[in-house]
Amino acid sequence: MDINALGISGSPHRHGNTETLLDAFLAGAKGAGADVEKVVLRDLHYSACRGCNACHKTGACIVKDDLAGLFEKILAADVIAVASPIYSMGITADLKGLIDRAQFLWARKFVLKNLYFSTDHIKRHKGVFISTAGQNWENVFDSAYPMVTAFFNGTGFEYYDNIIANNMDAYGGIRGHPTALAEAETKGKEVVLEVASLLSTGTSGRR
Amino acid sequence: MALHVLAIAGSPRRHGNSETLLDRVVASIQEEGVEVEKIALTDVTVNPCKGCNACEKLNKCVQRDDLDWLGQKLLDADCVILSSPIYCMGICAQAKALIDRAQVFRSRKYVLKLPVVPPERKGKRLGVFISTAGQKWDYVFDAAVPSVKCFYHVTEIRNADIAYLMVNGVDLAGEIEEHPTAGAEAFALGKDLVKKMRERFGDGH
Repeated sequence: MDINALGISGSPHRHGNTETLLDAFLAGAKGAGADVEKVVLRDLHYSACRGCNACHKTGACIVKDDLAGLFEKILAADVIAVASPIYSMGITADLKGLIDRAQFLWARKFVLKNLYFSTDHIKRHKGVFISTAGQNWENVFDSAYPMVTAFFNGTGFEYYDNIIANNMDAYGGIRGHPTALAEAETKGKEVVLEVASLLSTGTSGRR
Repeated sequence: MALHVLAIAGSPRRHGNSETLLDRVVASIQEEGVEVEKIALTDVTVNPCKGCNACEKLNKCVQRDDLDWLGQKLLDADCVILSSPIYCMGICAQAKALIDRAQVFRSRKYVLKLPVVPPERKGKRLGVFISTAGQKWDYVFDAAVPSVKCFYHVTEIRNADIAYLMVNGVDLAGEIEEHPTAGAEAFALGKDLVKKMRERFGDGH
């Protein structure tokens, strides 16, 4: 059974701490047999949501850019890993730009009511949030979670897990962190095996 | 220089609920004879931060866009007001791009340890965050506030000097106009800001 894992890197900084952590997650997913793909938002051309609410009438975004193809990939994926460093106590503007553009799915679900993700669908589709922060504060990721939650809700994914590592400045980067990269790889493997279990036997191996 | 206020409408949608609330505060300030410059982010270009960290060495951003002049206005104003709607539990991407670009001031302050504003103005300027959300949840603004605080801290506006006017449950266009208390709160906030600016800066600086 083919399982697709899609990694979305929301960091503008190529191959930095967050993208490296995402790469470890995807390596784990690949090791468990998934087809993996990574999309780097910085390489795409897209604009932020215009707030025009046209999608509330049509169910589609009037802005035609690279996000149309990305949303197709997101909706076709079994596992998505959304990655962003923490900038100014939140996710990057790049990732927020993607999340705000999911408004057309919200409109289809709640305004037009022509999109519905069943409980079974949501259980079989897992979303993981990956993040790093320079600060050592425990609460540094707290503002990111609600926005990621909104995104997973909108796209029909269960918010499965976080892979987070703070205090990057003190570790001298993710490669200096004692456990984060190994944890990301393990979790990448686990989530794919979990989806495979749900798809083949209908039961979760996790709980 | 006479007292002056910089008002930034962060919404991509012109004259919607958050900008209308901003306009109420602006009108209340202008009524007292204080100059307000208003900028709609959707009319200017402020690209997202590239995360290159060059500002930690250069003391300026490598990107050339409207932050070139808007950044200086942020530092010159006696009071900065930012408005944003809540999209997906956070400030809109356009406003987050502006906040992330304030990284150049963070580098100036914490890395290069250079003054961001003249010493006599440090800790005196005022900041305001205005927001509206369609959702009625009382926690709908919680994830927006920490980023706004970062924005003001790096431009030398203290926590205690940030005022908030956040109104939830306004979803449809123009709904803010019918809100029972928001208009009066915006009016009172404008008066309070002028009073505080006059206490701190006299009639100018």
